[in-house]
Amino acid sequence: MPTVVVLVLLALTVIFIGIIIARPEITAARGGKVLAFLALFIFPVFGGLLGLENHIERSKQTSFCLSCHVMGDYGRSLLVDDSSYIPAAHYQNNRVPRDEACYTCHTDYTLYSGAVKAKLHGLKHLYVQYLGTPPHPIKLYSPYNNRECLHCHLGARSFEQGAVHTADAQTMADIKSNKLSCVSSGCHDTVHNVTQLDHVKYWKPVQ
Amino acid sequence: MTQTSFITKKLRTAGLLVIAGLIVEALSLVWNHPLSFVAFMGIGGLLMAAGILWYLWALVSYRPDAGDAKSAAKN
Repeated sequence: MPTVVVLVLLALTVIFIGIIIARPEITAARGGKVLAFLALFIFPVFGGLLGLENHIERSKQTSFCLSCHVMGDYGRSLLVDDSSYIPAAHYQNNRVPRDEACYTCHTDYTLYSGAVKAKLHGLKHLYVQYLGTPPHPIKLYSPYNNRECLHCHLGARSFEQGAVHTADAQTMADIKSNKLSCVSSGCHDTVHNVTQLDHVKYWKPVQ
Repeated sequence: MTQTSFITKKLRTAGLLVIAGLIVEALSLVWNHPLSFVAFMGIGGLLMAAGILWYLWALVSYRPDAGDAKSAAKN
């Protein structure tokens, strides 16, 4: 839901509540009671839920993630002019939506819990950012799960028929069961690689 | 204090709390910053929840007195 629609709903609710505050005697009549119930219960709850949804959607944006200083290098790594950098190759070739690049690869593609878990982690990040000391470099909570890659790549010809993936039946089975990580050494092992960002060339997007 | 003035006061307090919560929530929606979510939930959400609970409490604790019953009958 666009932010402006939520703001209009919140403004209307404030106006209705203003009427109740200015003339509380109208609540003696049935119409006034209904207005009070709508203004002081239904509209605020509905507006609050829409606002929450708006915040959650906004927190998926790449610009939102990169607004924290500690994420700056990770944002730079999306523009590295080297296709062996996995995030850069995905970002520059639209394999992930550019405006939700971080979220697309770093949310858990599990039923229901992905967005909620990401939000809870986000609150922890805020705590560390403002009340603690962010680690450098930052680390994932758990090893990167192939599930996040397979969410898109499973069934894709390049994955299913890739020469290395199909070298033997066990390799494919291990990838799909997350026993063999996609980002293992020797496979797709150049990820953000932020310690090397001063020694690489950068791609300049065409405006 | 009559029941009418009792509920009037409660409605005003609830209304002010909800308005304060809504204003904080609206401001958080136009503030593009990670802390805006904390403001939305931690300040706006709390104020709004307090206002709504205050309103609901006013409803359940309201006992119409004789004067109220007469005016309700007129309406």
